[in-house]
Amino acid sequence: MSRKRFHGLKRIVPRIRMTWNKYNLYNLSRMTSPNNHGTYFQQKWKAKAATRGYHGEQIREKQWQRMFTSRLNAVVPMDHRYLGEHDGSELAAGRGSGLEQRLEGKRTSRTLTPYMHMTYAPTERRLDVAIFRSLFASSARQARQFVTHGHVTVNGKKMPYPGYLLNPGDMFHVEPESVLFATGQTKDREQVKAGRELKRARRVANTRRAEKRIAKREKALQAIANKKVAEELAAEPTPKTPRPVIADETEARKQRKADLQELVKQVKAILENKKAPPPAKRKQDLREINREIRGTMSVLNRKPVSEIETSIDALTARLTNLYPSNLFARIDKKKKPDSKPASDIAGKAQSSTPEYTAEEKKKMREALVLSRENPVDESKPYATPWTPRPYMSAFAFIPRYLEVNHNICSAVYLRHPVARPGLAEVPTPFSAEQMQLAFNWYLRRR
Amino acid sequence: MPPPLRSPSVLSSTPCCANQLCRTTGQSSRPFSTTPRHDQRVTRARRGLFRWLTLQGENFRNPLSGSTNYMGAYDNKLGVLKRVLEARDQRTLERAGKGEVEPEKTNGRSAEEKNIPPETQRDRVPFPHNKMFISQAVLSEELREEIWSQIMKEGQSVREVSAKLRVEMSRVGAVVRLKEIEKEWKRIGKPLARPYSRAVMSMLPQTPFDPHHIVSHESINDLPVHASTGQQIFHPTSESRQFTRQDAAKVFNKRLLPADDRIPHPELVIQHRERVTEGLSVEERKERAELRAAEAEEKRERKATREAEAEAMVQKVESGRWEFRFTPINTDDAGKDGRGRRGVGWRYGVPLYDRSRGQIKIPKIV
Repeated sequence: MSRKRFHGLKRIVPRIRMTWNKYNLYNLSRMTSPNNHGTYFQQKWKAKAATRGYHGEQIREKQWQRMFTSRLNAVVPMDHRYLGEHDGSELAAGRGSGLEQRLEGKRTSRTLTPYMHMTYAPTERRLDVAIFRSLFASSARQARQFVTHGHVTVNGKKMPYPGYLLNPGDMFHVEPESVLFATGQTKDREQVKAGRELKRARRVANTRRAEKRIAKREKALQAIANKKVAEELAAEPTPKTPRPVIADETEARKQRKADLQELVKQVKAILENKKAPPPAKRKQDLREINREIRGTMSVLNRKPVSEIETSIDALTARLTNLYPSNLFARIDKKKKPDSKPASDIAGKAQSSTPEYTAEEKKKMREALVLSRENPVDESKPYATPWTPRPYMSAFAFIPRYLEVNHNICSAVYLRHPVARPGLAEVPTPFSAEQMQLAFNWYLRRR
Repeated sequence: MPPPLRSPSVLSSTPCCANQLCRTTGQSSRPFSTTPRHDQRVTRARRGLFRWLTLQGENFRNPLSGSTNYMGAYDNKLGVLKRVLEARDQRTLERAGKGEVEPEKTNGRSAEEKNIPPETQRDRVPFPHNKMFISQAVLSEELREEIWSQIMKEGQSVREVSAKLRVEMSRVGAVVRLKEIEKEWKRIGKPLARPYSRAVMSMLPQTPFDPHHIVSHESINDLPVHASTGQQIFHPTSESRQFTRQDAAKVFNKRLLPADDRIPHPELVIQHRERVTEGLSVEERKERAELRAAEAEEKRERKATREAEAEAMVQKVESGRWEFRFTPINTDDAGKDGRGRRGVGWRYGVPLYDRSRGQIKIPKIV
């Protein structure tokens, strides 16, 4: 659907697109105000071409022409105190336009309402554009793809039409996985390969498991049949007594095990980071930590839970000290890294746990939670742990006609966009003159 | 740790980034091919792009911590934040005023230069050519939580909460809807997109919540500009007449209401008038407020009964999958010539446009 050069560099007036692409950012930076050469028709044509390249570039021209309306929505913010104190007659006093002293005394610089920026307001009603504006997709075309691929619901129902015009109060929801993929950093080649291998391994394991399950089921059926036969032979069941297991403790152990595995993953991620490989000394420390984690894991089921917990805390603290920028250290940044050698701390680790106050422990737990929320998972289609894609912050804004909750990747279309004195709600990179020319192009008589 | 301040002196020391960014330097996957590599040819335009990306564009690569990071906030030539430049000039001026000498340019910048001055509205312009669009603040997490708790826990009305916290009524409703879903997800253990949400919120300007000092999020009394007020009218009246907003509305359109009744919070105007202009006592105001509330309640009930009656007229048949709704029709609605707009069904000679171009065939409402 899209042409070969979507973000062209060659044009004298490069097209600005609805994307977060770095080419787009560059084009935006070298955008110049249009020179007013040529006839009025030519100016209008150019303005129309430039603005349509951004606004609803995925919409056919005829479709847009049908959407276009010359009625532009605007509001005026009113002060309830003024309305309460005056009935409006003071504006009609004197010769019909207010008393002269009042006007002199007021001397307010009246800000104009940018009506012309509302030219493309009807496109903002479309579902795909609204998804892009809510920062759920990195381009309007990607948003469109999400819709057609069935990742979007409107008011809880699947909506496969990107041209659906949202009504005020409509709630739309995009699959969080799609949103994370669209806004997260892309994987590099090694990560892609690793992910593929992981998926293959999982597939193999799953098929094996399925085979096993089938075999087991057959076995169980056989056993039941045998049992029935046996019962018929001699009605004497032998009930088994279940082994006494304390549910809480096993839960806790499982949790601790997950924590340890998470730690191992973190250490591994740091060690294998190609972009910023750790120095040799750091590597030694990390390997030391890794070894200790393994040791703790091996005695996980033998030692009491509290002891395991203290050792986990100690390990987390050490990792935090080594890497203040690490996920674990997001909370206590002020803490100074210990300069003591690793073996020294390692010797102390088991005995010196009371050193950490309750608050520190709580912080460490929070850090653990943070890392659990944003885990390393090679099977995802985006780089993990999730980080926003580059150049996103330059395009990150949410217009007021949307109310977005990013936690659940849902948003509500509150109302149609409006212009107010000094502000227009339709995000557009173009100046008022250009928008006016484009507006005039679309008026019936040109 | 605050991020290092971006300035050209720092950036020019890392020109290698261009090579990393530009894919052209990588080895060709088809080393013996004689076809020119049109896709990744190094042209002047591409060189310009990568030069820009290593210098000025480097600012936008990662979000700025504790601030928004829009293009309008930067000086495009230097690639430095405008507010940083201004602060620097200010300091130079101050020093000159005091008669101090310019300090030597050292490698490490001074402490006062490291922390970036707070952003202003000027710095929230994502598109430098369009000053009329600024990135407006979104509700912070705390404010959303507060709105939810005031509505769902304390049971206040949307109108009250909107007036108190200075947030539009429709937004209050939307916040509560979305929060409810979020809580439901938490309850059933569905994972939230926390890292994403945290990252996005750090890039956006936010309206903070402070119970002692309410910051206005947006103007809550927006008067929509009515189409019939767009015209200029010369309306002669006597000089002695009190020509109020009501009269002006009547002149524009006979059915147009005055601004006092068309704004979302007319009760604020009434309260202010009673308190300040009329100077009523607390009891009187309370009495009047109760009267108004009773009236509104009666009106609401009447509307509800009307709707219930209309609903009762519809005969419903519930199947497992659909609810069939039968409404009585009148054949006379088609009119004498059979072309009436309210007529039902296919009528001879009346064209059906449902298959023609330009008709909207996708759902209009869900």
